[in-house]
Amino acid sequence: MTIEVKNISKSYGASPVLRNIDLKINSGELVSLLGPSGSGKTTLLRIIAGIEEADRGSGAVVFDGEDVSDVDLGRRGIGFVFQSYALFKHLSVFENIAFGLRAKPRRNRPTEAQIKEKVQSLLELIQLSSFAQRYPSQLSGGQRQRVALARALAVEPRVLLLDEPFGALDATVRRELRSWLRHLHDTIHVTTIFVTHDQEEALEVSDRVAVMGNGRIEQFASPQEVYENPANEFVFKFLGNYNVFHGRSGAGALVRPHDIAIFRTSDGDRPDAAQTAVVAHIGFGGPVVKIELESDDKNRVDVELTAQAYHDLKLQRGEKVWFAARRAHSDFPPEYAI
Amino acid sequence: MAGAITARAPISIGSKRAVATESVLARRVLITITVVFLTIFVLVPLINVFNQAFSKGFEGYWSVFFPPQPPDDATLTFSQKRRLAEGAAQAARTWSSIGLTVAVAAVVLPLNIIFGLAAAWATTKFNFRGRALLTALIDLPFSVSPVVAGLVFVLLLGRNGILGPWATQLVWPDPFSLHWVGFENGVWPLAFGRTHTGVIFTPLAIVLATIFVTFPFVARSLTPLMENQGTDEELAALSLGASGWRTFFKITLPNVKWALLYGVILCLARAFGEFGAVSVVSGHIDVNDTMPLRIEKLWNEYNNQAAFTVASVLAFVAVITLVAKSVVEWKAARDAERTN
Repeated sequence: MTIEVKNISKSYGASPVLRNIDLKINSGELVSLLGPSGSGKTTLLRIIAGIEEADRGSGAVVFDGEDVSDVDLGRRGIGFVFQSYALFKHLSVFENIAFGLRAKPRRNRPTEAQIKEKVQSLLELIQLSSFAQRYPSQLSGGQRQRVALARALAVEPRVLLLDEPFGALDATVRRELRSWLRHLHDTIHVTTIFVTHDQEEALEVSDRVAVMGNGRIEQFASPQEVYENPANEFVFKFLGNYNVFHGRSGAGALVRPHDIAIFRTSDGDRPDAAQTAVVAHIGFGGPVVKIELESDDKNRVDVELTAQAYHDLKLQRGEKVWFAARRAHSDFPPEYAI
Repeated sequence: MAGAITARAPISIGSKRAVATESVLARRVLITITVVFLTIFVLVPLINVFNQAFSKGFEGYWSVFFPPQPPDDATLTFSQKRRLAEGAAQAARTWSSIGLTVAVAAVVLPLNIIFGLAAAWATTKFNFRGRALLTALIDLPFSVSPVVAGLVFVLLLGRNGILGPWATQLVWPDPFSLHWVGFENGVWPLAFGRTHTGVIFTPLAIVLATIFVTFPFVARSLTPLMENQGTDEELAALSLGASGWRTFFKITLPNVKWALLYGVILCLARAFGEFGAVSVVSGHIDVNDTMPLRIEKLWNEYNNQAAFTVASVLAFVAVITLVAKSVVEWKAARDAERTN
């Protein structure tokens, strides 16, 4: 199902949360809304779901060409997964997943046997078949989140909306669930929107990423596109760490730590623009080694090397080296241009 | 070893361990003060109630509710007959007061449950202008003297009150006189056998006064829990296509059941025991006596033993309330532990 958000605005009192949002999501796509807290991403998701209403007089939410702005939350055919899981504490895993099926009006409510079959197949999908009779309190965070997903999928929603689905989980479980979600989406192909503030998560999982800041969509493109060709300085800065180099003209150049190369004094292929610096700190981060350089003008320069490159260089703390930017972003249009 | 323990002490300040490091003397003094206080103000009066109630033995206690019946063939003097008739009349009034107390509670409780759920829902799950004011108003009965509350109703609904002309003419059916009349008069087979006129100095006024003093209990016991639970579960149910009613009965109500029961217990205890507000609006008419009012009348008639006997029933209800309250608290705590 395609989802269109047309010129949606939302404000709480006098403070605007969303400003004239336009967004078009293709059928079967997995899109993430990525932004810092306060960027309006969750509000946008809740407006698409029908939990919150857009400002009166602002635009519309359109599902498959049909304006659903005035359709109730329960009739939009959405599956919503909350950051808090919002599992029904007093119901078993089985009953949680069956809730939406049992709530259907009598004439299209499935039979008890059909409900059982459906719940069983969902339990298999989330790999919790043996947990049907457990209560939410007896599950781990990751298991709870999977039950919440199964519960939302049980009613066969036209669109799946996930609000920071992995926000409350620890890093390992997060990574596992992330790739599990990607695989799940490849199997069931339901249009999915998920909100996150985690850049890595958004870039890894999504077909397209909508980077949000200050109530606007700053860029909506594929993960590779937003990372390599950020539309503006905000997107660049939000997507990762960076160094700022001030040239003689006064304009700053922004360089990612992994776009800086380090050379030994003896290296013949060192570019002419290379500057000298001292290795101030070496931080091991597994596959990536984080080097902190102190340049001659006493500025800190962050560099990220692959473990292999680090080993080849055999860097020592306090050593004098040369560094140069392989790639710099400096041609952003000025911010807040009208 | 000792050194290690002293070194640990500052770290554990603020934790449970800190309690154990208080001086033994301070602990003993505090416990003694609490025990002495509770003994003087709770235990001794409670024992005294039962002591006085049984001052004429078990038979005396029993005769307050079931006055002695002479054998049919007994020949009685005039004064004996008079005393028997008097005892029967007193017992009838006592039973009437018990009946009214239970009836008032039976009417007040469902209304309070509905109001309490609505008020707690409104003040915790919605954000609107004047929410803080509404929350403060719900607490008002806690800070207003019940006698003043009773007087307000008299001044509002009494003969010279603002709503007096309407209220004194109001005819209302007695809900406990509803009985089966069959289908002779149409499709509705039930009818009221009794009606009352007026509000003040009738059981309706007692109901109103009792509602006023008891309505905060249910709302107040639900509010913190509902605030804590937020609206995510309800929204999840609604998003799955459940109706508002289904969401309420299947999700909201099970989540607050212990808190609701707790509020109901407190509300009932207060409804049984309320004196001030009820006293003002009852007009001191015998048929409007609830148990506390009946106790006062017996006391004023120097019938101390009977007064304490009726009081002992209320005290017994209070003890049951206390036990029920503890059980509910324990269950709620266990549930809270299980769901976290």
